[in-house]
Amino acid sequence: MTGIAASSDIAGRTVRRGLRLSALGFVGLAAVYVLALRYTPIEARQGLAQKIFYLHVPAAWSALLAFSLVGLASVLYLWLKDIRLDRFAAASAEVGVAFSAIMLTTGPIWAKPIWGTWWTWDARLTLTLFLFFLFIGYLALRAAVQDPAERARFSAVVGILGMLLVPFIHLSVYLFRTLHPQPIVLKPSAPSLPPEMLRTLLVSTIVFTVLYVGFVTTRYGLALVADLREAEELPDGH
Amino acid sequence: MVTEPPSNGEYLIAAYVVTTVLLVGYWVRLWRMAKKR
Repeated sequence: MTGIAASSDIAGRTVRRGLRLSALGFVGLAAVYVLALRYTPIEARQGLAQKIFYLHVPAAWSALLAFSLVGLASVLYLWLKDIRLDRFAAASAEVGVAFSAIMLTTGPIWAKPIWGTWWTWDARLTLTLFLFFLFIGYLALRAAVQDPAERARFSAVVGILGMLLVPFIHLSVYLFRTLHPQPIVLKPSAPSLPPEMLRTLLVSTIVFTVLYVGFVTTRYGLALVADLREAEELPDGH
Repeated sequence: MVTEPPSNGEYLIAAYVVTTVLLVGYWVRLWRMAKKR
């Protein structure tokens, strides 16, 4: 088996593994829906809209995890120049944008009945929207630059800048006057949430993380396939 | 005094539908790309 054929086999297996893991994540998501809608109590002041929290928070977690890992992989890429790190960063950025879209739609849907408005330009919301646009720009940059080494270098810089926003987003509710609720789990003191709600949130967070890993694995495998095809098409075999 | 929670189930449904559509839509896109390769 030639090197390219072996790599193509690995790429195919990676894609299949990713799709299977994502499918498993969807089974978990169905379980989260049942848990959240059937077995978790209704919050007295917010009513049923509070249950949006079980999707919004895990989506935000997955998006911020994705963008943090883009930044980390980008730093390592600039240091080690390993193309696998660039490929991972690209996969994680795309998946992060998908999870951000969920975070940025479920948030306003919750805000309308609770705050009385779909959107407010406070620090947490504005920074999150800015992060989303920054990674849309990251993906557009990758699509625009043809040379693989240049593309990887330029996008690594943008990826690192995106990562630097993540701690500001998490801490924005402490640093600025904001309408957004303060953290109730990831904070210095113990989580302030009834056990049934905390359990549902934790299960949902695990499921969203599984979906993240499944999507990134698939996307990475697809990028590997594309790279191998490009290598095969080059006349000198490089 | 015990008060009833507000009735806002339509927002809950909207959020769960949007999340499902975005996640499944993205998975289908990846699956189609995998089929084409």
